Amino acid sequence: MESNRYKWVRRVLGVVALLLVAATVVLGLWVTPPDVVQGQLVRLIYVHPPVAWVAYLAYGVTSIGSILYLWKRTRNIKWDLLAASSAEVGVIFTALTLITGSIWGKPAWGVWWTWDARLTTTALLFVLYLGYLALRRVPTDSHRRAVRSGIAGLVAFVDVPIVHQSVVWWRTLHQSATVLNATLSPKIHGEMAMTLLLGFISFTFVYAWMLMHRYQIATMEQRALDVELEQLIEERQYEPEAGSALAQ
Amino acid sequence: MSRSVSGGIGSGGSRTIKARTLPSKRKARRAWAAVAIVVLAIGFLLYKGLGNSLVYFRTASGAWKDRAQLGTSTFRLEGVVVPGTIHTTGTGVDFAVESSNVSVQVHDTANPPQLFQPNIPVVLVGHFSGNIFLSTQIMVKHSSSYIAAHPNRVATVNGKKL
Repeated sequence: MESNRYKWVRRVLGVVALLLVAATVVLGLWVTPPDVVQGQLVRLIYVHPPVAWVAYLAYGVTSIGSILYLWKRTRNIKWDLLAASSAEVGVIFTALTLITGSIWGKPAWGVWWTWDARLTTTALLFVLYLGYLALRRVPTDSHRRAVRSGIAGLVAFVDVPIVHQSVVWWRTLHQSATVLNATLSPKIHGEMAMTLLLGFISFTFVYAWMLMHRYQIATMEQRALDVELEQLIEERQYEPEAGSALAQ
Repeated sequence: MSRSVSGGIGSGGSRTIKARTLPSKRKARRAWAAVAIVVLAIGFLLYKGLGNSLVYFRTASGAWKDRAQLGTSTFRLEGVVVPGTIHTTGTGVDFAVESSNVSVQVHDTANPPQLFQPNIPVVLVGHFSGNIFLSTQIMVKHSSSYIAAHPNRVATVNGKKL
Protein backbone atom coordinates (compact mmCIF):
# COMPACT_ATOMS: atom_id res chain seq x y z
CA MET A 1 0.00 0.00 0.00
CA GLU A 2 1.05 3.57 -0.64
CA SER A 3 2.30 5.16 2.56
CA ASN A 4 0.77 8.40 3.76
CA ARG A 5 4.19 10.02 3.72
CA TYR A 6 4.76 9.09 0.06
CA LYS A 7 1.33 10.45 -0.82
CA TRP A 8 2.01 13.68 1.10
CA VAL A 9 5.41 14.23 -0.55
CA ARG A 10 3.90 13.61 -3.97
CA ARG A 11 1.09 16.10 -3.38
CA VAL A 12 3.48 18.77 -2.10
CA LEU A 13 5.72 18.18 -5.11
CA GLY A 14 2.75 18.57 -7.42
CA VAL A 15 1.65 21.85 -5.87
CA VAL A 16 5.21 23.27 -5.82
CA ALA A 17 5.74 22.18 -9.46
CA LEU A 18 2.50 23.87 -10.51
CA LEU A 19 3.41 27.13 -8.77
CA LEU A 20 6.93 27.12 -10.20
CA VAL A 21 5.70 26.47 -13.74
CA ALA A 22 3.13 29.26 -13.34
CA ALA A 23 5.90 31.63 -12.18
CA THR A 24 8.06 30.61 -15.15
CA VAL A 25 5.18 31.29 -17.55
CA VAL A 26 4.48 34.75 -16.06
CA LEU A 27 8.15 35.76 -16.01
CA GLY A 28 8.88 34.18 -19.39
CA LEU A 29 5.95 35.69 -21.23
CA TRP A 30 5.40 39.06 -19.58
CA VAL A 31 8.25 40.18 -17.37
CA THR A 32 11.48 39.32 -19.22
CA PRO A 33 12.53 41.52 -22.13
CA PRO A 34 12.78 40.42 -25.76
CA ASP A 35 16.18 39.48 -27.18
CA VAL A 36 18.13 41.96 -29.28
CA VAL A 37 18.34 39.52 -32.23
CA GLN A 38 15.51 37.04 -31.74
CA GLY A 39 12.93 39.44 -30.36
CA GLN A 40 9.92 37.64 -28.82
CA LEU A 41 11.14 34.25 -30.10
CA VAL A 42 13.59 34.14 -27.20
CA ARG A 43 10.74 33.24 -24.82
CA LEU A 44 11.02 29.63 -25.93
CA ILE A 45 14.35 29.45 -24.12
CA TYR A 46 12.47 29.21 -20.82
CA VAL A 47 10.93 25.91 -21.94
CA HIS A 48 13.16 24.23 -24.52
CA PRO A 49 16.50 23.84 -22.63
CA PRO A 50 14.75 22.95 -19.32
CA VAL A 51 12.75 20.10 -20.90
CA ALA A 52 15.93 18.86 -22.60
CA TRP A 53 17.70 18.93 -19.23
CA VAL A 54 14.89 16.90 -17.66
CA ALA A 55 15.21 14.30 -20.42
CA TYR A 56 18.95 13.97 -19.60
CA LEU A 57 18.12 13.74 -15.89
CA ALA A 58 15.44 11.11 -16.47
CA TYR A 59 17.80 8.93 -18.48
CA GLY A 60 20.48 9.42 -15.81
CA VAL A 61 18.04 8.05 -13.22
CA THR A 62 17.22 5.17 -15.58
CA SER A 63 20.93 4.36 -15.81
CA ILE A 64 21.40 4.46 -12.04
CA GLY A 65 18.35 2.22 -11.54
CA SER A 66 19.66 -0.16 -14.20
CA ILE A 67 23.11 -0.37 -12.61
CA LEU A 68 21.62 -0.97 -9.16
CA TYR A 69 19.52 -3.83 -10.54
CA LEU A 70 22.30 -5.36 -12.63
CA TRP A 71 24.71 -5.26 -9.69
CA LYS A 72 23.90 -8.40 -7.71
CA ARG A 73 24.61 -6.86 -4.30
CA THR A 74 21.91 -4.22 -4.74
CA ARG A 75 19.54 -6.22 -6.94
CA ASN A 76 15.91 -5.42 -6.23
CA ILE A 77 12.99 -5.24 -8.65
CA LYS A 78 12.26 -1.74 -7.35
CA TRP A 79 15.37 -0.41 -9.11
CA ASP A 80 14.15 -1.85 -12.39
CA LEU A 81 10.72 -0.29 -11.90
CA LEU A 82 12.31 3.06 -11.06
CA ALA A 83 14.50 2.84 -14.19
CA ALA A 84 11.50 2.05 -16.40
CA SER A 85 9.31 4.75 -14.83
CA SER A 86 12.03 7.36 -15.35
CA ALA A 87 12.60 6.25 -18.95
CA GLU A 88 8.91 6.68 -19.68
CA VAL A 89 8.93 10.24 -18.30
CA GLY A 90 12.20 10.86 -20.16
CA VAL A 91 10.63 9.86 -23.48
CA ILE A 92 7.82 12.39 -22.91
CA PHE A 93 10.36 15.13 -22.20
CA THR A 94 12.49 14.16 -25.20
CA ALA A 95 9.38 14.43 -27.38
CA LEU A 96 8.72 17.85 -25.85
CA THR A 97 12.34 18.83 -26.57
CA LEU A 98 11.93 17.89 -30.23
CA ILE A 99 8.54 19.62 -30.52
CA THR A 100 9.56 22.88 -28.80
CA GLY A 101 12.84 22.88 -30.75
CA SER A 102 10.94 22.52 -33.98
CA ILE A 103 8.50 25.32 -33.04
CA TRP A 104 11.50 27.54 -32.25
CA GLY A 105 13.45 26.43 -35.32
CA LYS A 106 10.89 27.37 -37.94
CA PRO A 107 10.81 31.14 -37.27
CA ALA A 108 14.42 31.40 -36.05
CA TRP A 109 16.29 29.17 -38.49
CA GLY A 110 13.67 29.04 -41.23
CA VAL A 111 13.15 25.25 -41.06
CA TRP A 112 11.18 22.88 -38.85
CA TRP A 113 13.88 20.25 -39.07
CA THR A 114 17.37 19.71 -40.42
CA TRP A 115 19.75 16.76 -40.24
CA ASP A 116 22.43 18.40 -38.13
CA ALA A 117 24.20 16.46 -35.38
CA ARG A 118 22.27 17.94 -32.43
CA LEU A 119 18.84 17.26 -33.92
CA THR A 120 19.77 13.85 -35.29
CA THR A 121 21.31 12.59 -32.04
CA THR A 122 18.29 13.89 -30.07
CA ALA A 123 15.92 12.05 -32.40
CA LEU A 124 18.13 9.00 -31.95
CA LEU A 125 17.88 9.38 -28.17
CA PHE A 126 14.09 9.45 -28.44
CA VAL A 127 14.00 6.33 -30.59
CA LEU A 128 16.56 4.49 -28.42
CA TYR A 129 14.42 4.91 -25.33
CA LEU A 130 11.27 4.03 -27.28
CA GLY A 131 13.17 0.84 -28.06
CA TYR A 132 13.91 0.40 -24.36
CA LEU A 133 10.18 0.68 -23.60
CA ALA A 134 9.26 -1.63 -26.50
CA LEU A 135 11.73 -4.20 -25.23
CA ARG A 136 10.03 -4.14 -21.85
CA ARG A 137 6.74 -5.09 -23.53
CA VAL A 138 8.21 -8.35 -24.83
CA PRO A 139 6.67 -11.05 -22.62
CA THR A 140 9.15 -12.70 -20.27
CA ASP A 141 9.70 -13.08 -16.53
CA SER A 142 10.49 -10.03 -14.40
CA HIS A 143 14.15 -10.84 -13.86
CA ARG A 144 14.96 -11.42 -17.49
CA ARG A 145 13.05 -8.28 -18.46
CA ALA A 146 14.96 -6.25 -15.87
CA VAL A 147 18.38 -7.54 -17.00
CA ARG A 148 17.56 -7.11 -20.67
CA SER A 149 16.19 -3.60 -20.29
CA GLY A 150 18.91 -2.65 -17.79
CA ILE A 151 21.57 -3.37 -20.40
CA ALA A 152 19.50 -1.59 -23.08
CA GLY A 153 19.08 1.43 -20.80
CA LEU A 154 22.80 1.71 -20.22
CA VAL A 155 23.61 1.35 -23.92
CA ALA A 156 21.04 4.03 -24.80
CA PHE A 157 22.52 6.41 -22.22
CA VAL A 158 25.75 6.56 -24.24
CA ASP A 159 23.86 8.91 -26.57
CA VAL A 160 23.20 11.51 -23.83
CA PRO A 161 26.76 12.96 -23.69
CA ILE A 162 26.91 12.68 -27.48
CA VAL A 163 23.77 14.84 -27.75
CA HIS A 164 25.21 17.41 -25.36
CA GLN A 165 28.63 17.55 -27.04
CA SER A 166 27.33 17.31 -30.60
CA VAL A 167 27.44 21.11 -31.01
CA VAL A 168 31.11 21.03 -30.01
CA TRP A 169 32.24 17.95 -31.90
CA TRP A 170 30.49 18.71 -35.20
CA ARG A 171 29.39 21.71 -37.23
CA THR A 172 25.71 22.24 -36.53
CA LEU A 173 22.92 24.67 -37.26
CA HIS A 174 21.96 24.43 -33.61
CA GLN A 175 23.75 26.99 -31.47
CA SER A 176 26.29 25.95 -28.83
CA ALA A 177 25.41 25.73 -25.14
CA THR A 178 24.42 28.99 -23.45
CA VAL A 179 24.89 27.92 -19.82
CA LEU A 180 26.83 24.63 -19.73
CA ASN A 181 29.49 25.81 -22.19
CA ALA A 182 33.23 25.11 -22.13
CA THR A 183 34.04 28.12 -19.94
CA LEU A 184 30.91 27.72 -17.78
CA SER A 185 30.11 31.38 -18.33
CA PRO A 186 26.41 31.86 -19.14
CA LYS A 187 25.92 34.09 -22.16
CA ILE A 188 22.54 35.46 -21.15
CA HIS A 189 21.35 38.66 -19.47
CA GLY A 190 20.41 38.79 -15.77
CA GLU A 191 16.63 38.48 -15.56
CA MET A 192 16.55 36.21 -18.60
CA ALA A 193 19.14 34.00 -16.87
CA MET A 194 17.12 33.96 -13.65
CA THR A 195 13.94 32.98 -15.49
CA LEU A 196 15.85 30.28 -17.34
CA LEU A 197 17.13 28.96 -14.00
CA LEU A 198 13.56 28.99 -12.69
CA GLY A 199 12.51 27.03 -15.77
CA PHE A 200 15.15 24.39 -15.02
CA ILE A 201 13.97 24.11 -11.41
CA SER A 202 10.25 24.05 -12.20
CA PHE A 203 10.49 21.36 -14.88
CA THR A 204 12.71 19.30 -12.57
CA PHE A 205 9.90 19.40 -10.00
CA VAL A 206 7.40 18.39 -12.70
CA TYR A 207 9.68 15.44 -13.53
CA ALA A 208 9.93 14.38 -9.87
CA TRP A 209 6.14 14.54 -9.51
CA MET A 210 5.55 12.54 -12.70
CA LEU A 211 8.18 9.99 -11.70
CA MET A 212 6.57 9.43 -8.31
CA HIS A 213 3.19 8.84 -9.96
CA ARG A 214 4.58 6.49 -12.59
CA TYR A 215 6.68 4.58 -10.10
CA GLN A 216 3.62 4.08 -7.89
CA ILE A 217 1.68 2.63 -10.83
CA ALA A 218 4.62 0.38 -11.74
CA THR A 219 4.84 -1.06 -8.22
CA MET A 220 1.08 -1.67 -8.20
CA GLU A 221 1.34 -3.48 -11.56
CA GLN A 222 4.18 -5.59 -10.20
CA ARG A 223 2.18 -6.41 -7.07
CA ALA A 224 -0.79 -7.47 -9.20
CA LEU A 225 1.47 -9.81 -11.16
CA ASP A 226 2.83 -11.31 -7.95
CA VAL A 227 -0.71 -11.91 -6.65
CA GLU A 228 -1.65 -13.57 -9.92
CA LEU A 229 1.38 -15.81 -9.66
CA GLU A 230 0.43 -16.86 -6.17
CA GLN A 231 -3.13 -17.64 -7.31
CA LEU A 232 -1.80 -19.63 -10.23
CA ILE A 233 0.48 -21.71 -8.01
CA GLU A 234 -2.32 -22.26 -5.51
CA GLU A 235 -4.77 -23.46 -8.17
CA ARG A 236 -2.16 -25.76 -9.63
CA GLN A 237 -1.64 -27.40 -6.26
CA TYR A 238 -5.31 -28.45 -6.13
CA GLU A 239 -5.48 -29.47 -9.77
CA PRO A 240 -5.91 -33.26 -10.38
CA GLU A 241 -3.01 -34.92 -12.17
CA ALA A 242 -3.65 -35.30 -15.89
CA GLY A 243 -2.75 -39.02 -15.81
CA SER A 244 -4.99 -39.85 -12.86
CA ALA A 245 -7.91 -38.02 -14.45
CA LEU A 246 -7.58 -40.16 -17.57
CA ALA A 247 -7.38 -43.37 -15.51
CA GLN A 248 -10.70 -42.60 -13.89
CA MET B 1 14.20 -10.93 -6.75
CA SER B 2 10.59 -10.82 -7.72
CA ARG B 3 8.49 -13.68 -8.92
CA SER B 4 6.33 -12.99 -11.88
CA VAL B 5 4.22 -14.53 -14.58
CA SER B 6 4.41 -11.79 -17.12
CA GLY B 7 5.04 -14.54 -19.63
CA GLY B 8 6.43 -17.99 -19.46
CA ILE B 9 4.64 -19.99 -16.74
CA GLY B 10 3.81 -23.45 -18.07
CA SER B 11 0.88 -24.57 -20.14
CA GLY B 12 -1.34 -26.14 -17.47
CA GLY B 13 -3.81 -24.52 -15.11
CA SER B 14 -7.42 -23.57 -15.33
CA ARG B 15 -8.62 -21.86 -18.46
CA THR B 16 -9.55 -18.61 -16.75
CA ILE B 17 -6.12 -18.15 -15.21
CA LYS B 18 -4.39 -19.21 -18.38
CA ALA B 19 -6.35 -16.65 -20.37
CA ARG B 20 -5.71 -13.94 -17.83
CA THR B 21 -2.03 -14.40 -17.13
CA LEU B 22 -0.28 -15.98 -20.06
CA PRO B 23 0.71 -13.70 -22.90
CA SER B 24 -0.64 -14.72 -26.24
CA LYS B 25 1.69 -15.32 -29.13
CA ARG B 26 0.00 -12.39 -30.76
CA LYS B 27 1.08 -10.10 -27.94
CA ALA B 28 4.64 -11.33 -28.20
CA ARG B 29 4.63 -10.86 -31.95
CA ARG B 30 3.36 -7.31 -31.55
CA ALA B 31 6.07 -6.50 -29.01
CA TRP B 32 8.83 -7.89 -31.22
CA ALA B 33 7.35 -6.03 -34.20
CA ALA B 34 7.59 -2.78 -32.18
CA VAL B 35 11.23 -3.58 -31.35
CA ALA B 36 11.92 -4.28 -35.03
CA ILE B 37 10.36 -0.94 -36.05
CA VAL B 38 12.54 0.84 -33.50
CA VAL B 39 15.65 -0.93 -34.82
CA LEU B 40 14.74 0.16 -38.36
CA ALA B 41 14.21 3.74 -37.12
CA ILE B 42 17.63 3.69 -35.43
CA GLY B 43 19.17 2.44 -38.68
CA PHE B 44 17.46 5.20 -40.63
CA LEU B 45 18.64 7.90 -38.21
CA LEU B 46 22.22 6.60 -38.26
CA TYR B 47 22.14 6.53 -42.06
CA LYS B 48 20.83 10.11 -42.24
CA GLY B 49 23.17 11.22 -39.48
CA LEU B 50 26.29 9.79 -41.07
CA GLY B 51 25.25 11.19 -44.44
CA ASN B 52 24.43 14.72 -43.27
CA SER B 53 25.61 15.50 -39.76
CA LEU B 54 29.31 14.69 -39.83
CA VAL B 55 30.02 17.48 -42.31
CA TYR B 56 26.83 19.49 -42.00
CA PHE B 57 28.23 22.54 -43.80
CA ARG B 58 31.36 23.88 -45.43
CA THR B 59 32.60 27.30 -44.42
CA ALA B 60 32.57 29.99 -47.11
CA SER B 61 36.38 30.12 -47.11
CA GLY B 62 36.74 26.32 -47.34
CA ALA B 63 34.15 26.01 -50.09
CA TRP B 64 35.70 28.89 -52.06
CA LYS B 65 39.06 27.12 -51.95
CA ASP B 66 37.50 23.81 -53.09
CA ARG B 67 35.02 25.27 -55.60
CA ALA B 68 36.67 23.63 -58.61
CA GLN B 69 36.42 20.27 -56.91
CA LEU B 70 32.83 20.91 -55.74
CA GLY B 71 31.69 21.79 -59.27
CA THR B 72 27.91 22.15 -59.39
CA SER B 73 27.18 19.65 -56.61
CA THR B 74 24.69 20.76 -53.95
CA PHE B 75 26.00 21.32 -50.43
CA ARG B 76 25.54 23.57 -47.39
CA LEU B 77 27.66 26.71 -47.13
CA GLU B 78 28.14 28.73 -43.94
CA GLY B 79 29.19 32.32 -43.51
CA VAL B 80 28.28 35.64 -41.93
CA VAL B 81 26.11 37.99 -43.98
CA VAL B 82 28.27 40.95 -45.02
CA PRO B 83 26.64 44.30 -44.09
CA GLY B 84 25.70 46.52 -47.03
CA THR B 85 25.54 43.64 -49.54
CA ILE B 86 21.86 42.69 -49.18
CA HIS B 87 19.77 43.54 -52.26
CA THR B 88 16.23 42.27 -52.69
CA THR B 89 15.55 40.97 -56.20
CA GLY B 90 12.35 39.96 -57.94
CA THR B 91 12.98 36.29 -57.18
CA GLY B 92 14.78 36.46 -53.84
CA VAL B 93 17.79 38.25 -52.42
CA ASP B 94 21.44 38.83 -53.35
CA PHE B 95 24.10 39.22 -50.69
CA ALA B 96 27.60 38.14 -49.72
CA VAL B 97 28.74 35.85 -46.91
CA GLU B 98 32.15 35.86 -45.32
CA SER B 99 34.34 33.54 -43.27
CA SER B 100 38.06 33.83 -42.50
CA ASN B 101 38.20 37.02 -44.57
CA VAL B 102 36.95 35.22 -47.69
CA SER B 103 33.76 36.59 -49.20
CA VAL B 104 31.38 34.62 -51.44
CA GLN B 105 28.67 36.28 -53.51
CA VAL B 106 25.25 34.63 -53.12
CA HIS B 107 22.19 34.71 -55.34
CA ASP B 108 19.20 33.32 -53.41
CA THR B 109 15.84 32.33 -54.87
CA ALA B 110 14.01 31.48 -51.63
CA ASN B 111 12.35 33.65 -49.02
CA PRO B 112 14.84 34.45 -46.24
CA PRO B 113 13.75 33.62 -42.66
CA GLN B 114 12.58 36.48 -40.43
CA LEU B 115 15.90 36.70 -38.56
CA PHE B 116 17.90 37.15 -41.77
CA GLN B 117 19.93 40.37 -41.41
CA PRO B 118 23.46 41.76 -41.77
CA ASN B 119 26.16 40.25 -39.54
CA ILE B 120 24.17 37.10 -38.78
CA PRO B 121 25.63 33.66 -39.57
CA VAL B 122 23.65 31.71 -42.17
CA VAL B 123 23.76 28.22 -43.65
CA LEU B 124 22.80 28.14 -47.33
CA VAL B 125 21.77 25.14 -49.41
CA GLY B 126 22.80 25.37 -53.05
CA HIS B 127 25.71 25.10 -55.48
CA PHE B 128 28.31 27.16 -57.24
CA SER B 129 27.69 28.57 -60.67
CA GLY B 130 30.98 30.10 -61.66
CA ASN B 131 32.02 32.37 -58.79
CA ILE B 132 28.47 32.82 -57.49
CA PHE B 133 26.75 30.52 -55.02
CA LEU B 134 23.16 29.86 -56.11
CA SER B 135 21.13 29.29 -52.96
CA THR B 136 17.73 27.64 -52.76
CA GLN B 137 17.40 27.79 -48.98
CA ILE B 138 18.64 30.12 -46.25
CA MET B 139 18.87 28.95 -42.65
CA VAL B 140 19.83 31.40 -39.93
CA LYS B 141 22.40 30.15 -37.45
CA HIS B 142 21.91 32.46 -34.51
CA SER B 143 24.41 32.67 -31.66
CA SER B 144 24.03 31.20 -28.17
CA SER B 145 24.18 34.66 -26.57
CA TYR B 146 20.94 36.22 -25.34
CA ILE B 147 20.97 39.97 -24.85
CA ALA B 148 17.98 41.92 -23.60
CA ALA B 149 16.69 44.29 -26.26
CA HIS B 150 15.97 46.97 -23.62
CA PRO B 151 18.10 46.16 -20.56
CA ASN B 152 16.79 49.17 -18.64
CA ARG B 153 13.14 48.74 -19.50
CA VAL B 154 11.32 45.56 -18.61
CA ALA B 155 7.95 44.56 -19.96
CA THR B 156 4.91 45.54 -17.95
CA VAL B 157 2.02 43.63 -16.47
CA ASN B 158 -1.36 45.44 -16.55
CA GLY B 159 0.37 48.59 -17.69
CA LYS B 160 2.46 48.91 -14.55
CA LYS B 161 6.22 48.94 -14.64
CA LEU B 162 7.70 46.20 -12.46
